[in-house]
Amino acid sequence: MTAPPDTGGTPREAGYYHLTRAVLYREYLIFVRYPANAIGGIVIALFFFGVIFYGGRMVAGQALTDSIEGIVVGYFLWTLSVGAYSSISNDIGSELQWGTLERHVMTPFGFAPVALLKGVAKIVRTFITSAIVLAVMILITGTTLALHLFTIVAIATLSIVSVLGLGLAAGGVTVLYKQIGNWLNLLQFGFIVLISAPALELTWMNVLPLAHGSALLQRAMIDGTRLWEFPPLELGLLLGVAVGYLGLGYVVFQYATRRARRLGVLGDY
Amino acid sequence: MTKRFGERAAAVTAVDTVSFDVERGSIVGLLGPNGAGKTTLIKSILGMVLPDDGSVWIRGVDVHDDPRGAYAHVDAMLEGARNDYWRLTVRENLRYFATVSGVDPDSVVGRHERLLEALELTEKADVAVRDLSRGMKQKVSLASVLAGGAAVVFLDEPTLGLDIESSRTLQRELRRLAEKEGLTVILSSHDMDVVETVCDRVLIMSGGEVVADDTVEELLRGTDRHRVEITSRDLEPGLVSTLERGFDVGRVDRLETGFRIDVTTDSDGFYELMDRLRSEGVTLEGVRTIEPDLEDVFVDLTSREDGGTTRRDGVSP
Repeated sequence: MTAPPDTGGTPREAGYYHLTRAVLYREYLIFVRYPANAIGGIVIALFFFGVIFYGGRMVAGQALTDSIEGIVVGYFLWTLSVGAYSSISNDIGSELQWGTLERHVMTPFGFAPVALLKGVAKIVRTFITSAIVLAVMILITGTTLALHLFTIVAIATLSIVSVLGLGLAAGGVTVLYKQIGNWLNLLQFGFIVLISAPALELTWMNVLPLAHGSALLQRAMIDGTRLWEFPPLELGLLLGVAVGYLGLGYVVFQYATRRARRLGVLGDY
Repeated sequence: MTKRFGERAAAVTAVDTVSFDVERGSIVGLLGPNGAGKTTLIKSILGMVLPDDGSVWIRGVDVHDDPRGAYAHVDAMLEGARNDYWRLTVRENLRYFATVSGVDPDSVVGRHERLLEALELTEKADVAVRDLSRGMKQKVSLASVLAGGAAVVFLDEPTLGLDIESSRTLQRELRRLAEKEGLTVILSSHDMDVVETVCDRVLIMSGGEVVADDTVEELLRGTDRHRVEITSRDLEPGLVSTLERGFDVGRVDRLETGFRIDVTTDSDGFYELMDRLRSEGVTLEGVRTIEPDLEDVFVDLTSREDGGTTRRDGVSP
């Protein structure tokens, strides 16, 4: 490869635009260069859906067929949530082991904005893999769903942003207590309860992550309701829950990192 | 700066009122036995550990008041950590870490090319780091630390795992960067040869305190620690054991008749040793004085602090 010419000039300062570009490009490179993880995730997600669908049909018969749209939409949201949550919390654990988290802490930007940008990348990545899972589920079950891209992306994104907040908080706990990461992964099974919240008809659950988003997504994909057809109050609640949990996760992560620095355990993996 | 870990009676002072300045463009070696507080000191300066007391100023910026401004000038390579992304190529790592260090990577392309060349990484620039040898990975780690053009870098065991040629290349590049570009380096290493060759100044820590702070030349000149090699056919196993209990006896070689022993001691100890040998009726066949090196100075200073128990690395008692 031919060496580019020396720019000669003074190094220019990098801003958040450069940081965003660098973090997203890094995530992109890893996604396209090492697709095995993504493919493995898709295969496992479809395998479990196959068990639920075919096993459920054998056991419950028509009852399952009647509620299959809800199951497909719920499973789609669950794969999105698990993807966003585990990728961000596991990623923080990996960065901790590699020593790159420590290195980010002492940069002008710090690690928190990098973690948030990684979160954005993980959401995009998870959308790609979950869209494939959704397409295969629709083919397997023969279900008809309203696929208004803008509405689905907007509601699903806001739904999983709250989970991203939980992932950040879990990452913060990992910074402090290291090997706890695997236990925190068990939390993702709790998402099933949250996604099932609309069926439980418990109003107070709407302020929990995923619950309200799950209800709106069901209406969007099953009833065909467009984003602008939802009452503003419901959309406001969706946005509020998303921002609230993301903010909470960010605060927990920052607090945990600071506490780890105080205790001198930031890089002691 | 002071840093304690733990509470009340169980509290351990890892760094005890340490204070020093580092001149721009100099390379400072940080030495100390395990547990001396070197890593805590480095991590406190870098903000990875929050000190209980004290402050750090980097290029006139208080790290506590303006961490973003201070860290814009700093990067570090810490021992035992990868420090970079193994799934990215060498060049991608350089660009990434330049960016997170606050520098637009497009503006330092030339610097990256020169770094790759100086560290003999040009041919591997587009290879994923995971596919490189351990020594190469170490060089990539260093290159990524220097990629953003930080004015101050902390290097913890930078030559660990490098072969002799690579280690020399790295030392040359560090000296060049310090002399030509005004890079300030704080270097922690157990390799005394590297410290002696590269560093303008050495800080020796023991028990959380700085016990010596001077140039290598002054430290060598100031030491009252001498190493003598004594050969005699009158030395027999019983006497050698007695000497080992009373003096810092290093290497012991059994000869066809007698022994050759290597004793490290100060002036008073040397007189005592000679008196002892004379009283035992030992005829000296050979006495050779070995010039003290940095390792002798290090052992001398740190053994004073911990009651004289520290021994030279690699020398069996």
